[in-house]
Amino acid sequence: MKQAFLNYYDITPVTTWIHETLCSVMPEGLAIFLESLAVGVIVLLMYAILAIILIYMERKVCAAFQCRIGPNRVGGKGGLLQVPADVIKILTKEIIHLKRADQLLYALAPFLVILASILTFSCLPWNNGAEILHMNIGILFVLAASSIGILGILLAGWSSNSKYTMIGAVRSGAMLISYELSIGITVLTMVMLSGTMDIQQIVYNQADGWNIFKGHIPAILAFVIYLIAGNAEANRGPFDLAEAEQELTAGYHTEYSGIHFGFFYLAEYLNLFITSGIAATLFLGGWMPLHIPGLDGFNAVMDYIPGIVWFLGKTFFVVFLLMWIKWTFPRLRIDQVLTLEWKYLMPLSLIVLVIMTACVVFGLVF
Amino acid sequence: MDIKEKISAIYPDASFSEQGDLLAIIPAEHFREVAEKLRYDNEDPMDYLRDIVGMDWGESLGTIYYLESSRSYNRIALKTFTTDRDNAYLPSVCDLWKTAEIKEREVFDFFGIRFLGNPDMRRLYLRENWIGFPLRKDYDMNSNPLDMENEENADITDEYYLNPDGTIADKKNIIFNQKDFVVNIGPQHPSTHGVLRMRTSLDGETINKIDPICGYIHRGIEKMNESLTYPQTLALTDRLDYLSAHQNRHALCMCIEKAAGIEISERAQYIRTIMDELQRIDSHLLFYSCLVMDMGGLTPFFYGFREREMILDIFEETTGGRLIQNYNMIGGVQADIHPTFQNKVKAFIKHLRSVIKDYHDIFTDNVIAINRLKGIGILSKEDAISLGTTGGTGRASGWSNDVRKHHPYALYDKVDFKEIVYNEGDSFARYMVRMDEIMESCHIIEQLIDNIPEGEFKVKTKPILRIPEGTYSSAVESSRGEFGVFLESKGDKVPYRLHYRSTGLPLVHAMDTVCRGNKIADLIAIGGSLDFVIPDIDR
Amino acid sequence: MNKFNKYIKGYISGIKSLLIGMRTSMKVFLQPKVTEEYPENRHTTLHIPERHRAKLIMIHDENNQHHCIACGLCQNACPNDTIKVISEMKEDEDGKKKKVLVKYQYDLGSCMFCELCVNACPHGAIAFSNDFENAVFEKDKLILQLNNEGATLAKNNKI
Repeated sequence: MKQAFLNYYDITPVTTWIHETLCSVMPEGLAIFLESLAVGVIVLLMYAILAIILIYMERKVCAAFQCRIGPNRVGGKGGLLQVPADVIKILTKEIIHLKRADQLLYALAPFLVILASILTFSCLPWNNGAEILHMNIGILFVLAASSIGILGILLAGWSSNSKYTMIGAVRSGAMLISYELSIGITVLTMVMLSGTMDIQQIVYNQADGWNIFKGHIPAILAFVIYLIAGNAEANRGPFDLAEAEQELTAGYHTEYSGIHFGFFYLAEYLNLFITSGIAATLFLGGWMPLHIPGLDGFNAVMDYIPGIVWFLGKTFFVVFLLMWIKWTFPRLRIDQVLTLEWKYLMPLSLIVLVIMTACVVFGLVF
Repeated sequence: MDIKEKISAIYPDASFSEQGDLLAIIPAEHFREVAEKLRYDNEDPMDYLRDIVGMDWGESLGTIYYLESSRSYNRIALKTFTTDRDNAYLPSVCDLWKTAEIKEREVFDFFGIRFLGNPDMRRLYLRENWIGFPLRKDYDMNSNPLDMENEENADITDEYYLNPDGTIADKKNIIFNQKDFVVNIGPQHPSTHGVLRMRTSLDGETINKIDPICGYIHRGIEKMNESLTYPQTLALTDRLDYLSAHQNRHALCMCIEKAAGIEISERAQYIRTIMDELQRIDSHLLFYSCLVMDMGGLTPFFYGFREREMILDIFEETTGGRLIQNYNMIGGVQADIHPTFQNKVKAFIKHLRSVIKDYHDIFTDNVIAINRLKGIGILSKEDAISLGTTGGTGRASGWSNDVRKHHPYALYDKVDFKEIVYNEGDSFARYMVRMDEIMESCHIIEQLIDNIPEGEFKVKTKPILRIPEGTYSSAVESSRGEFGVFLESKGDKVPYRLHYRSTGLPLVHAMDTVCRGNKIADLIAIGGSLDFVIPDIDR
Repeated sequence: MNKFNKYIKGYISGIKSLLIGMRTSMKVFLQPKVTEEYPENRHTTLHIPERHRAKLIMIHDENNQHHCIACGLCQNACPNDTIKVISEMKEDEDGKKKKVLVKYQYDLGSCMFCELCVNACPHGAIAFSNDFENAVFEKDKLILQLNNEGATLAKNNKI
């Protein structure tokens, strides 16, 4: 069943070489420390750059949906420097200290949110051999780490000592905990299909066709459910109740300013990317090129495209899909959001899980 | 039975004044009786209180109540007064017409008349520590220097009532308890459409009570009018409800023309009617945009603005203004229509008919929108009439109240149009009324646009206009309800008192009734569907 | 069973309405954009109708002559006290005493563009222009003098 694929862009030899070279000149502990430092810097850099790209993309895409042209002044015709300029602005802004806030939690909350986001970010399979956190229960780790973000939101809302933030936090708490279920179940569905929880292994298993094709109907349904639930997890419209600017001005981060607000903002966009990245990994093959069993020539051509391009291409495709949804629909109400989850998505995802199990057991998947 | 005979039958000593509008003058001690009998009349109950106009006649203070029947659409005005200026008390009618609750507060705020039996006698627009009552003629303009102190609203209000022995006592009513979780929606809030503040008491996400606080954009337009000549007063009407600028000004022009006996030309009538309807489309497109945006859909918001821009361009071509057009004048309109006007209007209507499907596809038929609007914020017909929520809000509750139909003015008795009435009374019905009215307005314009007769667009008027003594009123159907002008003249070149019926005040007052028991997200959607404009409330 | 049918139907019609919405937004996504790019479009697509009221001006002819007789009707017509007509009495060549305009002061900051002054003017001396770019950094700069320095009353004072 496993199909061999040409592996031009595996970076494992490079990383192994770096590791060995470093080990030859210094003790292994130091070498690992240095490597971790370098990787950490790279992750943070990528995190920041991707955030800028995503914000720019969001502004341009949303403008196009709204018959506008979007940012077009700063940095030439396309407004390319608009977002970097905004970043600089936010860095120079004053960080407000509230008098009656719970100081420790108030300061801690943005870091929790960004921590959760970076942890999950590190699990994404960028390329063959380029996953940063690799463990055999990778997907479980992603689910666990992303839950820390909810804690950050709850703390931010509670510690600000404001009524708007409180309502926003309680909303997001109720909502995110519900939607974790659907996410968990759909992820389980795909784990069922792949037979492993190791993210890299899940990608390898898609060498003979992406999961969405292999798992056909249940996989497509699971994909849709995952997108909806993931959208809710990322706190984006039509599920952006925690912020709901028309109702709660800015929801849980109303009382934050400067870079603390920036953290929430950044995490929100990166969560969008992470949700899309996980969707791309589970359903669309991660960095795996498009392979159609039997068409060896076609597969060989596809293999020439580097894995990172595949991964980013798929992820940004899903990001666009989510933006399309966000910029089309009005927001739901809190009880409707919960009804949607408990009465529609959860039963459906359970059914899909059962169907998928049956398909796998009876060998009905490709 | 004639309304005059009816009042005489209830209270034989009632006197009538016919200088201008018919006015029944009833002393305060018999006023409750007359009001009650008129309100609960079997065949023709006067169940809609159009407005309460406070007045200072020098020797006496008083109020004029403008009533209308929701069955026969007959109108009558009742006048009552008190001569005790220092302790002015009048009986409250807020148990007969709910809208009196807030309108009596307005009269109290400006004239210092306390209403016996109204449970809430706070000031409405001015600060709680305001000295004096500004619309009284003996008010000292220097008595309230600019106060920059932060104002904390009291949670307790006064109620005055009559003891059986004839003495007046007062008691305290509690608006919000210490335990209530009160959230301030506004005055700076993205969805209150201006500087309105709603103190909202919540139970979790559910609304217990709303207490609207107005006056953040109060400019004292009614007071200013008392020192402006008649042509000058026109300049301020556009600034009330800026989305009904044409219609507001139309009402004032009509009132002054009626009082001064000026006949305007057929051509001007055509132009005014077309402009009114264009303004209505403009306003309803903005309503669509804002409602959708309040519910979190930012994309359809721009659709509405895209088409509205075209109307503004048409306005600007002819009137020279986009939002504040200054177009209607006493005796006609400011300038003749631009040569391209007719073609542009026709092209616009054609375009609008082709894109309106997009509006419905992206929002009206959307399952999220339907769930957010259907069955939410139901306002019953009785409540709608009692609260005086005119316009689309009332018509969505099944109350046929279109001034254009029942008291036609300009050319509305000559054109064929349907009055859109829905019976559900929920947010969705309020939304659909406006969407259907857009098409109905297009239909009206299409009947008129090609038939504008030749003639003068403005008749010559005297340079200094004096209006004969009397009480005059006129009303138009503005974009969001009945806009009324009430004018008291003493034969001067400036009005003695000029009062506007705010279309938004009853709507804001209705928020409490409509929103109770709904979620906080619905508060925003209901507010959007009621469609109020703050400068018109605060005046 | 009926309830279950309704549930399924609601499911399907809901999804259908969402897809129609997404189709509509994609349609607009591909349509040309409507943004007006001011100030780049100043000399291309920007259209200011001639009746647009942006600023009060006094009409001067090529000989630096205006039509203002300093009657003050515009000043009286203004609801906002925006206009101040400063005049003096002068003798003309026939020896008749006549009011002559010295300074026509106009406060753009408090003008509400109601056009009452233009309507009041018996000689058509003032009008509204299309020049709408009036932003300044100081409030004082909004107080303008409308008559040119050294301008005189036109001889042929007919409209």
